[in-house]
Amino acid sequence: MSIPTDLKYTKDHEWVRIEGDTATFGVSDHAQEALGDIVFVELPDVGRSVDAGEAYGVVESVKAVSDVYAPVAGEVIEVNEALEGEPDLVNSDPYGAGWIVKVKVSDNNASAELMNPEEYTEFLDD
Amino acid sequence: MTDLLKTPLFDEHVKLGGKIVPFAGYELPVQYKNGALKEYTAVRDGEAGIFDITHMGQVRIQGKGALNFLQYVTTNDVSKLVDGQVQYSALLNEQGTFIDDITTYKIDDENYYLCINAANRYKDVVHLQTEAANFDVTVTDESDDTTLLALQGAKAQAALQTIVGFDLEAIGYYKFARGQISSSGGIVSRTGYTGEDGFEIYIPNSIAVDVWNALLEQGAVPIGLAARDMLRTEMGYALYGHEISDVVTPVEAKLMWITKLDKGDFIGKVAVEKRKAEGAQKKLIALKLVGRGIPREHYKVFVDGEESGEITSGMFSPLAGGGVALAYVKPEHMTEGQLAVEIRGKQIEAERTKTPFVRSNVRK
Repeated sequence: MSIPTDLKYTKDHEWVRIEGDTATFGVSDHAQEALGDIVFVELPDVGRSVDAGEAYGVVESVKAVSDVYAPVAGEVIEVNEALEGEPDLVNSDPYGAGWIVKVKVSDNNASAELMNPEEYTEFLDD
Repeated sequence: MTDLLKTPLFDEHVKLGGKIVPFAGYELPVQYKNGALKEYTAVRDGEAGIFDITHMGQVRIQGKGALNFLQYVTTNDVSKLVDGQVQYSALLNEQGTFIDDITTYKIDDENYYLCINAANRYKDVVHLQTEAANFDVTVTDESDDTTLLALQGAKAQAALQTIVGFDLEAIGYYKFARGQISSSGGIVSRTGYTGEDGFEIYIPNSIAVDVWNALLEQGAVPIGLAARDMLRTEMGYALYGHEISDVVTPVEAKLMWITKLDKGDFIGKVAVEKRKAEGAQKKLIALKLVGRGIPREHYKVFVDGEESGEITSGMFSPLAGGGVALAYVKPEHMTEGQLAVEIRGKQIEAERTKTPFVRSNVRK
């Protein structure tokens, strides 16, 4: 189970990478493995605002439909259009090519509720 | 909650990394460690996939009255069967709706074997035993003693031949043979629910693990419930609880081809004739999404903006390259009007298509 140390995590198994005022969202290795083969990703429109904890998109595996929730609030500035043709990038490279959206962070303290890698590791172990 | 049952292969599934889920009263693998898509691909791309379908039920029908009994309780014409032949059929109630869909195996004039759905097993057996009182026949539920495997895909015959003491090449489509399998006896039929050439294998529980592992050694890929459902849906095959149930008759489900109204009396015949004369209340269609998305069971289907029905089975089809589904719509919408599927509040354009959604490779 891969848990990169430069990311933050949520209890819904999303990850977020915050660089300046830009945050990149994706789902964790644990989440992609639990979901199984991803066959469709529904991306939000660029320009949409999302609150922390709000469903911003949908990831569908062979058998299941799962919402994905924003780790922090912001405005969607870019979506990973590669996922339209290759949704399985979420499985094969969840922290890299399988990223889902980038947002412009609207609240500088938004990451206070997030878990660091050690906390997320413990959360998974519980 | 009722305790879930385990098949004799449960420990093998766990060893292979099977992700176990409850299904039809059993604990069964939904997928193994490489995932449902790789399993699906193995079957479609010329390998052989092996499925534990022991949860399906087996009922033996024996006695001088076997043919008359089966003619009365099933929809298809059992008199057309020759020894060693299999027939797709159904059990209806007096309302003409489905108790179950089944396959009938004819061993000889006084010996038949029915394969029934796991979830309907007890209902079916009670129904059959009740009706048997009027015929010279015995109905025996052999489900607990029998392991059922499906081996499907282009390499199925070569793999299975290594452990079977009779010539598989001689078994035609929807035919079966009995004889030596591994260290015991059993039945092999050239049947299945995937659209690929392959077999269903009935064996005693005592040799289940040996046969399973022997077929794995021949390169067969273990396949879970998720890939099995993908393969089934791509063929557009009906599944009890989805396309067929106790609220639809063969007229709605497009299963009049297994409902022989001219064979004499059978349970449900009068009701089916009436429904046929009055017209179906809804009709099963096949559709493919034009827009992006995955159609799933219970999603609403709209025609020209009017709600018309709902999806009974839907999925992403790798071979069709998009979302495909079976759905019930109002009869007038079977061939007319612009289709859309409502996915998360949005109407996604769809078009009518034919089943199978992909090419079948069964050996006929």
